[in-house]
Amino acid sequence: MEPTFRQSMDWLHTWAGVVLGGLLFAIFWMGTLAVFDREIDRWMMPMTRLTIPETNISFDALRPSYEAAVKARAPVWSVILPTEREPVLWLAYNDVSGQVRQFIDPSTGAALPDPGTLAGRRFIYPFHYMLHIRFQQIGIWLVGLASMAMLALCISGVVIHRKIFADFFTFRPRKQPRRMLLDLHNVAGVLGLPFHVVITLSGLIIFWSIYFPSGWQTAYPNQQTLNVEAFGIYARSKLNKPGELASLDAMVAEMQRLWSGDRPSSIQVYHPGDAGAYVRISRLGTNRVTRLTDVASFDAATGALLHHSVAPRPVMNGQRFIAGLHQIQFRHWMLRWFYFVLGLSGCVMIAAGYLYWIDARRKRHAQAGVPGVRIVEDLTIGGTTGIVIATLAFFVANRLLPLGTTFAGYERAALEVWAFYLVWIAAFGHAWLRPSRAWIEQCWTIAAFGVAAVALNWITTGAHLVRSLMHPHLWSVAGMDLLLLVGAATAALTARKLRCRAAGASAGAANVRSAELYPAE
Amino acid sequence: MNSILSFVALVLVLHFGFALLALSQDRNWRLVVAAPSLSRVAKITLRIAGYALLALGLSLALWRDGPGFGSLMWGTLISLAACAVTMILSWRAHWMTPLGSAIRATTSHHSAKPR
Repeated sequence: MEPTFRQSMDWLHTWAGVVLGGLLFAIFWMGTLAVFDREIDRWMMPMTRLTIPETNISFDALRPSYEAAVKARAPVWSVILPTEREPVLWLAYNDVSGQVRQFIDPSTGAALPDPGTLAGRRFIYPFHYMLHIRFQQIGIWLVGLASMAMLALCISGVVIHRKIFADFFTFRPRKQPRRMLLDLHNVAGVLGLPFHVVITLSGLIIFWSIYFPSGWQTAYPNQQTLNVEAFGIYARSKLNKPGELASLDAMVAEMQRLWSGDRPSSIQVYHPGDAGAYVRISRLGTNRVTRLTDVASFDAATGALLHHSVAPRPVMNGQRFIAGLHQIQFRHWMLRWFYFVLGLSGCVMIAAGYLYWIDARRKRHAQAGVPGVRIVEDLTIGGTTGIVIATLAFFVANRLLPLGTTFAGYERAALEVWAFYLVWIAAFGHAWLRPSRAWIEQCWTIAAFGVAAVALNWITTGAHLVRSLMHPHLWSVAGMDLLLLVGAATAALTARKLRCRAAGASAGAANVRSAELYPAE
Repeated sequence: MNSILSFVALVLVLHFGFALLALSQDRNWRLVVAAPSLSRVAKITLRIAGYALLALGLSLALWRDGPGFGSLMWGTLISLAACAVTMILSWRAHWMTPLGSAIRATTSHHSAKPR
């Protein structure tokens, strides 16, 4: 136990940061990228770079896919409708081989080739909240632990900041590196504090039913009852008798009338082909912050409205607003960019905190022969520049692997994920093997991979920057290319600066050595 | 057009709010104006004006984008505006000299003794 409260908070801030900072960086980095998950999808799935038709889509025309789901005895058949950010219609159901996903061009109704990638929405976004560790929901719990640590770090950081008001606007880039790093950590932390606290707390609140199950378990006998009341979810069992499907278009028209013209976001048919089948239509709510829970359920055979969710109660409404502000499924490009920049500021804060810790202890640990700095620096390099390189390798692999590629039994989507993890492990190995050059070399690698990704996108799809800037439906691709180039330029400048500093430091050390060997007469 | 103008106004209001708060601090004042520190009353006045501009920014954001999007716009823009002021003070402090000089002229005018 430390003698004073401030020293206790200092200890907590230091060790929570050092132990969990790497995990927090990965969560922040992936969350920042997930802000543009649909745009990443367009970049990684060139066949989906389409325009939305102005005429209404006929859902009854999708009946052949529904019939296939009936034949496959799928428990549910889903249709996700196109939006401005995701201009494709996709169908999904399970058959004996697993989940069947099919992208449809909404203008022609033609099936698009399998994109063969998990891209942003199915790799980057889930990584952000569950690290792709599904077993016993360990990933979600680890993210929850890191989020709690982040809140503790925010509060302890405010407590230990001796001159939080006096240094509020202070960043001294020309001071010695350690001072500059602490300033950068403080500025990114203090100025971004409202965003960091709100985004972390809201992340925890999204998973309230997992993190705090006792809350709902005291009021509801089971999860289904909770879902009915909190989310307006209606469910009924199969009747094990054949059943028909009435017009989906009529059901959608009825809901649009009740929702003041708002479009649906998805349609799901449960127990397809059974007499107990019912259709669930969810409302698209991109014009508000709150994530809507508006759903309506129809009897599949007759098209009669069975259940329509009512407005959620105040607590649930608050939860949906908080979830909405975190998940930004709304249509507001300015806010989307602000979230992206502030997410990056979180990454900068974490990285600067690590660098300060390392710099403050480097000499002391070297003199004492303690390996702490070496270990933390290797993990920091792998955890910061390493994950950036791994992400870029994921993009580059996407553009290098032809559609339909398989290797050692793995399909293309899995191979991209392997590229990500193998390159990430290699980055940790590189940091361990070349500690003095790792920062510089990894920054150069980021620059090279960034430029390579843009070039490969041009070569493989023909969508160079000028072309994608000229066509509004390709702006997501242009944005991605521009960010890759800006990131590459920043990494190259950083590498150059670090190289100059390293050269200066070794020249200084050589001068000291020669002065020791040949002292002035 | 209105949307762009109101956004520019929002950014400027928040930016100037933080600029006034920054200039109410001795270190930033000396860096920008290279003049003796402001009087206590002048500093308090700058702080009140700065906070008032931040509050005005909140009203503007709520009016412009409604309670949901408006609160998020304000919540994110205050961080970005404060960051912009910090970066200007770090790299281009002279950009704030005209504002500092205007404040200096106003405060010296008010503090001048009547003949």
